[in-house]
Amino acid sequence: MNASSKPKLSFGEYLPKIVVAPTFVATLIFIYGFMLWNAWLSFSSSRMLPKYDWVGLKQYERLFANDRWWVAAENLLIFGVLFIVTCLVIGLFLAIFLDQKVRAEGAIRTIYLYPMALSFIVTGTAWKWILNPELGIQRMFREMGWESFSFDWLVNSDMAIYTVVIAGVWQSSGFVMALCLAGLRGVDENIVKAARVDGASMPAIYRRIIIPGLGPVFFSALIVLTHIAIKSFDLIVALTGGGPGYATDVPATFMYTYAFTRGQIGVGSAASMMMLMAVVAIIVPYLYSELREKKQ
Amino acid sequence: MSTTTVKKPVRTGKYTWNGAMITRTVASYGVALLMFFPIFFMILTSFKTELQAIAVPSLWIFEPTLENYTEVQERSDYFSFAWNSVVTSVGSTILGLMIATPAAYSMAFNPTKQTKNILMWMLSTKMMPAVGALIPIYLLCQKLGLLDNVFALIIIFTLMNLPIMVWMLYTNFKEIPSEILEASRMDGATLWEEFRYVLLPLAMGGLASTGLLCLVLSWNEAFWVLNLTSANAGTLASLVASYSSPEGLFWSKLSAVSVLAIAPIVIFGWFSQKQLVQGLTFGAVK
Repeated sequence: MNASSKPKLSFGEYLPKIVVAPTFVATLIFIYGFMLWNAWLSFSSSRMLPKYDWVGLKQYERLFANDRWWVAAENLLIFGVLFIVTCLVIGLFLAIFLDQKVRAEGAIRTIYLYPMALSFIVTGTAWKWILNPELGIQRMFREMGWESFSFDWLVNSDMAIYTVVIAGVWQSSGFVMALCLAGLRGVDENIVKAARVDGASMPAIYRRIIIPGLGPVFFSALIVLTHIAIKSFDLIVALTGGGPGYATDVPATFMYTYAFTRGQIGVGSAASMMMLMAVVAIIVPYLYSELREKKQ
Repeated sequence: MSTTTVKKPVRTGKYTWNGAMITRTVASYGVALLMFFPIFFMILTSFKTELQAIAVPSLWIFEPTLENYTEVQERSDYFSFAWNSVVTSVGSTILGLMIATPAAYSMAFNPTKQTKNILMWMLSTKMMPAVGALIPIYLLCQKLGLLDNVFALIIIFTLMNLPIMVWMLYTNFKEIPSEILEASRMDGATLWEEFRYVLLPLAMGGLASTGLLCLVLSWNEAFWVLNLTSANAGTLASLVASYSSPEGLFWSKLSAVSVLAIAPIVIFGWFSQKQLVQGLTFGAVK
């Protein structure tokens, strides 16, 4: 239209870098800046108030001598693995199920996904009621006449961590379902048809062709689920409060208790350093290797 | 009457009603019901009196009461918490979109050698446990007098959501052919015009679902809220937690608070299902 104007690229040449900068710097500060600060505190003798002296690995020694810390670390491992695996399995099955042509699929998909939109605090509250032996499932079954029915995991310190898994799976399996469903819809129907013509059974087609094709979907789901598992703080606060005793403590609640209610900032920051290091050692390398492969 | 009847499936819409179809549909609604049950029971309980809530056997039919809702408002001023939730989630969503959109735009249309690496790095930071930054942020807020302050929450929520927002917007922008933008530039559009009249209309869907995701994440955020705020800047998450903490529980009030805390998201989400699904799956489901 306007022949006289030239493409204005001069501004655009340095602008891209400028607009990326805020995100880049913010992430850098949020992650590394605060982490370094935290690391510093973990080498200090801070208790109620932060101090910036140097006591070497004293806080770490105190942390490792603390039984409660090991319970918390073990809980995170149990919760993380069970939560992620169960979500993936249930999500996949729900997706295969919904993929079989169901009426009003859109509405059902939204309902399955709804828990994901809820706050973990509310999820914890709702499940606290259902899992409460006096009020929830146990009583319902007993009212129906099954007097010996017992489901007291919430107040049983050996089993309480599994109730956290149940509530977490309830919240997130719909999310995996939605991802898998989208993945299933992306599978080339001609390949499935060809396999059928060749006489492959449906289970075999799923096992050999469709599910392996969902690799990228599982990877995205895994990223988000791992993030949720590491973040698990709200759910535990609302559902068990870390109890009974400290049976369902995870590193996040442990750290919170020590840093803020017990005036042990040093131990708290040492605990979060251990968390950080575990993530850096296990998850980040995996993430990078997966993404690298994808790129090529 | 003949004894052999030919089964004729009734055709409605594009699906065929037959036995298997009905079974599947009924079953999928059954699962949906099962999944919805905890929420349903919570809503039901919120309309019971405290005595009805713990009655044996469980009451399914009762005279609903609104006293829990009025009492929650009277005792702890629901609206001030709700207002904080609105301010922090809307504020951080707008701020986040303002920072993330140009960044994603530049990465998608002017990629450099480092772009992929920066994106990967940003995404990997989402794996970092928030507890690692808690003590320093707490101390910083304390020093700056920003404890229990909504602005601190807005900034933290924004920082928290930025990587995922940039990532989602980036994948969304990537699907827009850059030729369209080049053509508008050739026609003499300024950068702003190009952005405003060409890119924005094309990217609206992606922006909406990214925004909605950020809104939901901020609305539901509890870790920072519980650790950094009390009465002043507390959001609905802290209101629910305050009813939940002592072991001597007021079940129906707790249920009423929870229902009030999720109602806006549930209702809003139902009317924007497409964006909700797209947002909650981080853009993976179109």
